[in-house]
Amino acid sequence: MIASARGAWSRLRGRRGRSLLAAAGIAAVAAMMGTATTVAYGLATGFDRAAERADLPDLIARFEPEQVDEVDARVEALPNVASRSYRQEATEVPLASAGQATSSGAVHVVGDGRRGYAIVAGDDLSGAGDEVVVERGLADAWGLAPGDRLSVAGVDARIVGVAVAPDNVAFPLASAPRVYVASQGLGAQLGADPGLTNMALIWSQDPSRLDTTLVQARAVSFGIDNLRFLTRAGVQVQLDEAAGIVIALLIAFSAAALGVAGVTLGATARAEVQRRLETIGVMRGLGFSRIGVAAQYGLEAVIVAVPAGALGLGVGALLAYGPSARLLESLNELPPGAALLAPLAGCLLVIVGLVALATMWPAWRAASRRPAEILRGAELTARPRRLPYPAGFFGLGARLVAARVGRTAATVSVLAVSTALVLLMLALATRLDALQNDPASLGKRYQLTVNGAPDSTLPVVRDVPGVAAAAPRYEASAADSFQLGETFKLIAFPGDHTEYESPPVTEGRRVQTAGEAEIGAGLANALGARRGSTIAAQLGSGREVRFRVVGIVAALGNEGRVAYVRPTRLLEGDPGLTPAIAVRLSPGADPAQVTSELRSRGIDTAAVGAATSSSREFLGVLADVLRVVAIVNILIALFILTQSLALTALERRPTLAVLRAGGAGRREVALVLAGGATLVVALAAPAGVVLERAVLGPAVADMAVDYVTLPLSADVGQITFAVLGLLLLALTAALWVARQVGRTPIAVALREE
Amino acid sequence: MRLAAILLGVVLAGAVALAVADWRGGSAGEPPTGSTLSATYVDPDGNGRLDRGAGEALVDRSELAPSARPGRQLALFAQLSDAHVVDEESPARLPFLDRLGAPLTSTFRPQEALTGQVLAATVESLNALGPQAVVSTGDLIDNAQSNELSQALSILRGGTVDPNGGAPGYDGVQSADNPDPLYYRPDVDAPRHPGLLEEAERPFPSPGLHAPWYPVMGNHELLFQGEVRPSARTSSVATGRRALLRLDPSVEIPTDERALTPDLVDRLLSGGLPGPTAGTPPDRSRRQLPAEGVARRLRGAGDVGGRRPLLDYSFDIAPGVRGIALDAARRDGGAKGRLGPGQIEWLSRELDRAGRRWVVVFSHQPLDSFAGGRRALAVLDRSPGVVAAVAGHTHRNSIVPRRSPSGGYWLVTTGALIDYPQQSRAFRLLQTANGVALETWMVDHSEANLAGVSRELAFLDAQGGRPRGNAGTRLDRNARLFKASSIRR
Repeated sequence: MIASARGAWSRLRGRRGRSLLAAAGIAAVAAMMGTATTVAYGLATGFDRAAERADLPDLIARFEPEQVDEVDARVEALPNVASRSYRQEATEVPLASAGQATSSGAVHVVGDGRRGYAIVAGDDLSGAGDEVVVERGLADAWGLAPGDRLSVAGVDARIVGVAVAPDNVAFPLASAPRVYVASQGLGAQLGADPGLTNMALIWSQDPSRLDTTLVQARAVSFGIDNLRFLTRAGVQVQLDEAAGIVIALLIAFSAAALGVAGVTLGATARAEVQRRLETIGVMRGLGFSRIGVAAQYGLEAVIVAVPAGALGLGVGALLAYGPSARLLESLNELPPGAALLAPLAGCLLVIVGLVALATMWPAWRAASRRPAEILRGAELTARPRRLPYPAGFFGLGARLVAARVGRTAATVSVLAVSTALVLLMLALATRLDALQNDPASLGKRYQLTVNGAPDSTLPVVRDVPGVAAAAPRYEASAADSFQLGETFKLIAFPGDHTEYESPPVTEGRRVQTAGEAEIGAGLANALGARRGSTIAAQLGSGREVRFRVVGIVAALGNEGRVAYVRPTRLLEGDPGLTPAIAVRLSPGADPAQVTSELRSRGIDTAAVGAATSSSREFLGVLADVLRVVAIVNILIALFILTQSLALTALERRPTLAVLRAGGAGRREVALVLAGGATLVVALAAPAGVVLERAVLGPAVADMAVDYVTLPLSADVGQITFAVLGLLLLALTAALWVARQVGRTPIAVALREE
Repeated sequence: MRLAAILLGVVLAGAVALAVADWRGGSAGEPPTGSTLSATYVDPDGNGRLDRGAGEALVDRSELAPSARPGRQLALFAQLSDAHVVDEESPARLPFLDRLGAPLTSTFRPQEALTGQVLAATVESLNALGPQAVVSTGDLIDNAQSNELSQALSILRGGTVDPNGGAPGYDGVQSADNPDPLYYRPDVDAPRHPGLLEEAERPFPSPGLHAPWYPVMGNHELLFQGEVRPSARTSSVATGRRALLRLDPSVEIPTDERALTPDLVDRLLSGGLPGPTAGTPPDRSRRQLPAEGVARRLRGAGDVGGRRPLLDYSFDIAPGVRGIALDAARRDGGAKGRLGPGQIEWLSRELDRAGRRWVVVFSHQPLDSFAGGRRALAVLDRSPGVVAAVAGHTHRNSIVPRRSPSGGYWLVTTGALIDYPQQSRAFRLLQTANGVALETWMVDHSEANLAGVSRELAFLDAQGGRPRGNAGTRLDRNARLFKASSIRR
């Protein structure tokens, strides 16, 4: 085995250039996989990791302040409760430190028992009078560290630790920075009554049975006002919604990367086998078995693939780790750290295995023939038909490339996918950038509202250029009719509300008739409502309206405590309800222009709650991640082109040598190769554009359609940019390969004929 | 090699036999009698899921007499208590009061549609035990309704039982379309049991008690909600077409049972039901029975003779062992017990008549929980033959010694069949060298006819027997209770 490895190593050294080229290709593919794996693994496991470390409770209940004893008596009676602790949460608390200040701080006064947060720097609260623990988001945003001072409601406090609790996104993505103080310490100084609580943290024995706990909690909640439950699973869903699009994209990207790796490596290996048919023939003549021949090639491939794959994965992981970690921090999650090594090792195994198989298979096939036949250099495939190509060096290059139909098709396919991915990422990044300033917010598809306008306004609004649609939007605050203290919003549009607001349906279906409702998961949780249940809403008018639940939706607003209904029954219950007008703009319409146009007609508008300043940063991080992935993808495209041309040059070395012997210089050789590369680009670019516009763009937009309208078809500018980029890559590859060709003496190249 | 093959064959055959036994549901760990001595339902993980676990051995309790080797069996009998067989669809119920918490938590239970099935499953387990007598220590039904009593008695008699009231199918507060989130609705709430309510309303078989059974009067047999003497108005509510959904906010609920008088209830109902209502299918069989009528039906159904208005009587549990049933249920309202002077005198006479026989006294309310009962205990204190005073009502298992100059006896209360842990109690009286030993252990009901679902729901109930500790401690459940006596038998 050692002898075989030594032999393989010496053969690889003997053709160092080709080996390095193969290694570069593997490294590029591995880098792409490393990037995708780092981001996808970090996002997919970030919540669990943070929740585990923070000891996040399975159930968090918020309510109006109650006596701790009173609440504890009820919680103690619940089934499946492992432990519990209580906090007081005060909001709108002024916080200030070193020139930074906010009036919207959230102070959590913690008592005894489990904390539900992880200390990531410094220490936890000891109970001393002036101690405060700050959330990591605040520490990062304000540059705070243990030992610094923080003013909490005017009381000077000493920061002893930095904490992470993934029950919400981090400040500034969350508008309220959170700090923790001990009830016996700073809590007492701030005047918090230790006998009161408005937040219960509950850890279950068996999280899979939390639903039974929740039902019982609801059953004993009478008299506790404004009760809101948040389950650990619910938190995860909310956070995943933010990252779901990126994860899905990266998974698709990883799959494409694997495909690229397979096709590229397969083509390389096939050409290598073809080139070395003589050697295989000799080996077979000497009595090597087919397995022995394939194993030799496999071993060589492994020796190249292991370091190249590891290097590529490492580079990809390093490139993506920073943006990925920033993304996780925005979500109050923790980066994977050393845990990332396992999936990367898995990727390395996949890469090495793929490379080995891609090399061994053609060798195994070639070795199946008789030695004499192999030594004669029989082709593995049939010759292609001749097609009309332009004359000259450029046309010759195109002919040489086209002669290998299978390889050209594979290269074009891979390059087309790569182009489509780049176009998609450009479109997505542009869209994310736009979202930062666009007044369309997640979950809503209309951009403007007109408040307090008479009915006659609606047709006027619809006539304004740039307005795609407009409809009355009714919104009513309601309370559960059974004195649970549960409040929620009823939202109604005449007709299909998904044209304006379209939270995804997680269970059941959309509203179709007047007596039906789609309710948010938060409301379903609070009321124990499922598909087929009835909800009874007490309106501001004092009248009760009932709706049959036909669907549960993942609504983001009002903590999911919303119900989408048709206006008929709502207006029966409260005839005085007046609607606003929701205005959806046409794609590309300028909101400012439409607003101005409406104002000129005497109609005042308001922008729909846009991406907040805090979520701008989040969207910016998402765009960064996409850019990193796009850069790696561009490198892959370059490699594919270079590899394709290098293989052509390798196979046609004698032809190129004849040209060179006839007086052709490096420029002419480069022209030949550029002709080949241009053919590939000419085929791949339109295919990539079609793929992006017809398949990938609509598919990803469809995934996001429930949260936001994402027109992800690349525009002309992006297509032009991508095609020009491809041509530039083609030219780069041609020049590089021409340079390599020029280094081989003509006599040596001719001798191979 | 051959030996190895034989051994392998034996092992395989054993494995196949075990697998077949398991497949046929013949779990080796499940005692046919439901005896908790060998296995019982436990939640070892604390996750709210009950599994069959190890049994609880008898604990020797020698507070009244030193432990002694048990000898000859004198009697084997059983007690079931507080089955509260309920017409959960009845408009005479007030389930919306449950949310107010104690002391109104018995107005609604998640498992209340399955009370008949639980009683039938208990009958099945007790039959397997093979007792010489079974005593029902009161609250066999929940709301003094005729149809509830008919259902309970037909379960104890045996045959096919129809638990449905009103129109066919379920028509109560647990329907999936009830928007009130404070009720457990099995079609939509966890643990989900789709179709449970429809199934609960279907006729089910009951084997009927094989042993003679003896009823003790409870407050729920006689009183509306176990508290208020029925009147024409309450009875018309029970048989009416409207059910109260919730009380008008102006109505104040008295928390002191003494304030909950028939007059107050009549006043409340004088202007109709005091709050929003919903239509419900009427059922004449829901009429509330007068106390004499209840006593007459119980006497007729059990092995009890006589015509007295009060259900005080004595009976032979076994040769040499006498049972005395005391009727402490108030006819004028209120859940607490009452024993009049005449009943105390009657008790004294019965103890005298028992002579040298061992005596077990049964009542619904524990005798130490009300004034008349304490006077009765004073009488029992003088009788050396009294082994135990057994009661229900508290829905909680408890065994405490009562010391007396004549050697003392044991005060035993047993949990309710309607609440967790839904167990009945077995007794075995054994002769010892210096007296007797009363062995007692809890009996789990079978899983038959949805009774297992009822146990699960009762366990989860945050206002039920689990958080209230109704199962008691080990000393309150399976114990060997020693009693010395100067009487030589």
